[in-house]
Amino acid sequence: MTGKKILIVDDDQHLLLGLTPRLKANGYRVLSAADAISAITVARKEAPDLVILDLGLPAGDGFVVLERMRSLADLVDIPVIVLSARDPAVNKQRALDAGALAFFQKPPDNHEFLTAIRGALGETVALSSFLKT
Amino acid sequence: MSAEAFGLKTNQNLSPAVPILASNGGCAVDESSNVTLSPGLRTDLLDLDAWGDILMTYGRTIKVAVALTDCDGRLLGKCHNVQPVWKLIRDATPDRGAGCPFCLSTRPPCTAIAEALQTGEAVIAYDQAGLTHVAVPLLLGKQQLGAIVAGQVFDRFPEPLALRRVAKDFGVSAQKLWELARGQRPVSRSVLHASSELLGALGQAFLRQRYGAIFQAHLAATNQSFRSLVEGVRDYALFTMDLSGRVTSWNGGAERMLGYADADILGKNFACTFTPEDIQNGLPEKQLRKALRAGRSVDEGWRLRANRKQFWASVNITALLEDGGPIRGLAIVMDDATERRKVANILEEARQARARLQENFLSHVSHELRTPLTAIYFFTTNVLDGLLGDLTREQREHLSLALENVKQLKDMVSDLLDITRVETHKLNVEPQHASSAKLINEALSTCRTNAEAKNISLRSEVAPGLPFVWADPARVRQILINLIDNGIKFTPANGSITVESRRFAEDDGFLCLSVSDTGCGISPANRELVFDRLAQVKSSAEASRSGLGLGLFISRELVLRHDGRIWVESQLGQGSTFYFTLPVFSLAKLCAHVFTAANLEAGSVTLIAVDVVAVEGGVQADILFEIRRVLERCIHAFKDVLLPSMSDVEPVVTFFIVACGPSAFQVIASRIVRELQNFDNASKLKPVVSSTTLLVAPGHPREEQIDEVTARIERLVQAHLLGKERLK
Repeated sequence: MTGKKILIVDDDQHLLLGLTPRLKANGYRVLSAADAISAITVARKEAPDLVILDLGLPAGDGFVVLERMRSLADLVDIPVIVLSARDPAVNKQRALDAGALAFFQKPPDNHEFLTAIRGALGETVALSSFLKT
Repeated sequence: MSAEAFGLKTNQNLSPAVPILASNGGCAVDESSNVTLSPGLRTDLLDLDAWGDILMTYGRTIKVAVALTDCDGRLLGKCHNVQPVWKLIRDATPDRGAGCPFCLSTRPPCTAIAEALQTGEAVIAYDQAGLTHVAVPLLLGKQQLGAIVAGQVFDRFPEPLALRRVAKDFGVSAQKLWELARGQRPVSRSVLHASSELLGALGQAFLRQRYGAIFQAHLAATNQSFRSLVEGVRDYALFTMDLSGRVTSWNGGAERMLGYADADILGKNFACTFTPEDIQNGLPEKQLRKALRAGRSVDEGWRLRANRKQFWASVNITALLEDGGPIRGLAIVMDDATERRKVANILEEARQARARLQENFLSHVSHELRTPLTAIYFFTTNVLDGLLGDLTREQREHLSLALENVKQLKDMVSDLLDITRVETHKLNVEPQHASSAKLINEALSTCRTNAEAKNISLRSEVAPGLPFVWADPARVRQILINLIDNGIKFTPANGSITVESRRFAEDDGFLCLSVSDTGCGISPANRELVFDRLAQVKSSAEASRSGLGLGLFISRELVLRHDGRIWVESQLGQGSTFYFTLPVFSLAKLCAHVFTAANLEAGSVTLIAVDVVAVEGGVQADILFEIRRVLERCIHAFKDVLLPSMSDVEPVVTFFIVACGPSAFQVIASRIVRELQNFDNASKLKPVVSSTTLLVAPGHPREEQIDEVTARIERLVQAHLLGKERLK
């Protein structure tokens, strides 16, 4: 059990309910925030290892959260995976440019999604070490 | 062909005049190209007022009565120079339509007239009363028009009663009439005979003169009506010009549309109606040349009025030819299509707006559908994967079916969005270097579950040594999955589906991929329809579960965006094969903008190899994409080309760049070192950059130079990858 903390930022409580068991089953601790403002507050307070971010949020969308995180020294290094129902043709590049590590359209494939989470947490491929072991 | 020239010819067919007279219904041509004159033209030719003078003059000179008759001997108009005694004998006014006024016999036709027309000669008739009359024919070519009949004065004395009546008619006294009658000298037969030739010649000459006059009048009328037609056209500009483009005539419509008066435009070059940009681009000359060469030039574009205001014109230039002769000039018909264009634009905008609205709506719907779909997906998979405890076999089965349905719903939502993109022209493909074999395998593994459920076997047959394709991998997978899923849907249990890839026989610039099934097949009528939007083949038990029917429509759009073709071959009851083509990857195409003759001959094209070596171990496949993105930042996007991966992952990963510019290598190499260091701050990757300059012999055709340089790159890349011969 790594016990790493993942913050899910999404206003859909059912998504939170559906995603949490799988993350927990993989040994992560799950935090949640339902809007842009509390996302920043929780992130600063809890210092999660990863943020799963929805784009359509109350009180400012996901891009606002990304921008804010990139401007705060304590949040700038936290990897972000965007999980949104929005059209990737329009939003994917924008999200990556804003500093997200990956973009998944809802619903994501469980396996691919978890692989990306592990990758982002440096458990298989860390950005700082690209080497096969 | 002038009217005079024609009119003076005798005994010849009238065919040369046909085109003009025929246009008025004046005459028609029979099989032996003889002209048949219409009743209207006959009446005109034998116009009584016109003939009156000449007949009267003749009658008075020769002292005979003279009249015009038709071919049947019926009198036309009145008898001229009628003499009282003669009149008395006839006992009636010889009127229009009566028989020959000179024959004592009342039974028509007059034999002299008939004979004259038949022989073409003057014929003299004697009747039993000792009367003489002469008939001369009126002939136009072979056409019989009628006859002139001149008669001798009757020399018997009238009866007193009748004399008084005639005197009354003439308004003279009976005494006077008597003297008149007695004073008449009968014309001798010989005189009549001699003058008959004069009468014949006179009649024939006058007839031709009449014909000429009618012909002329007709020509003038045709000309006039054509001119007023052209002039009267208000909504089109009609004008003519000479071979150099100088305006030679100009109608009212042209004046109204373009704003030049006749005097201002005649003699000017028609280029003055073009915009300055078009003139600079040589458009007027191009159109002129095209019209002269092809006989016609049709164009739509902006034109200028005299006041320099633009309007959208639809222009048709036609060369004016005489039969088989040289071009005499050019006629232009111009239509002001500004309003029409405006309306078309408004309609197109409305259509676009509607499509955008639809796209926004569908994008919204898709978004809204995806949110609950995601929750269902997570809950279903959580339970199915045993995260919430064990399941019975039946529970697992039911949940698996639920998951299948979730996936179907997800695909439908994606299709909905794609279809709107087709309409808003936003369905894009991003082609890259891809292996058709790999894409087929990926698609097959996605479809395997569905196929196994129906016990349908999936096979792939890929010809060995196939080149890579230049295609969007995600989109090709989508096409393949669409086609395979379709096949599964319409193939009964225990059937098979084969996916093949080979070179396209018709064009070696393409690969041909195909998906064959052993299903129910498609009837010829439906074959045309399957690629249509919302097309669904009925009468299948599966129809109710076959989705939105958008799969083939989207597949076709995707193939078209790859510049490929898609079609189906099928036999009812035996199965169908869907084929589509994808362009083969080509180094020459990819690097076309670098491989200019100037670049190649100057030796400014450089092949750069970037070997990324891990300090220990090998490079992880997962970060290849990231390294590629770093390299993309190091090159000049419009000048240099980062080649697609040429090999699978190796302990050392090599990227190749075709760069252009005198110092491309130094600039790019230093950038790569810097950027990779930024990216890999733990310094576990080491880039080794090497290069070779590509130079071709000057003066060869560009195609040969390109072939030479691409072959060389392929050799160099291969040798470098195999470690045989590294770039320096």
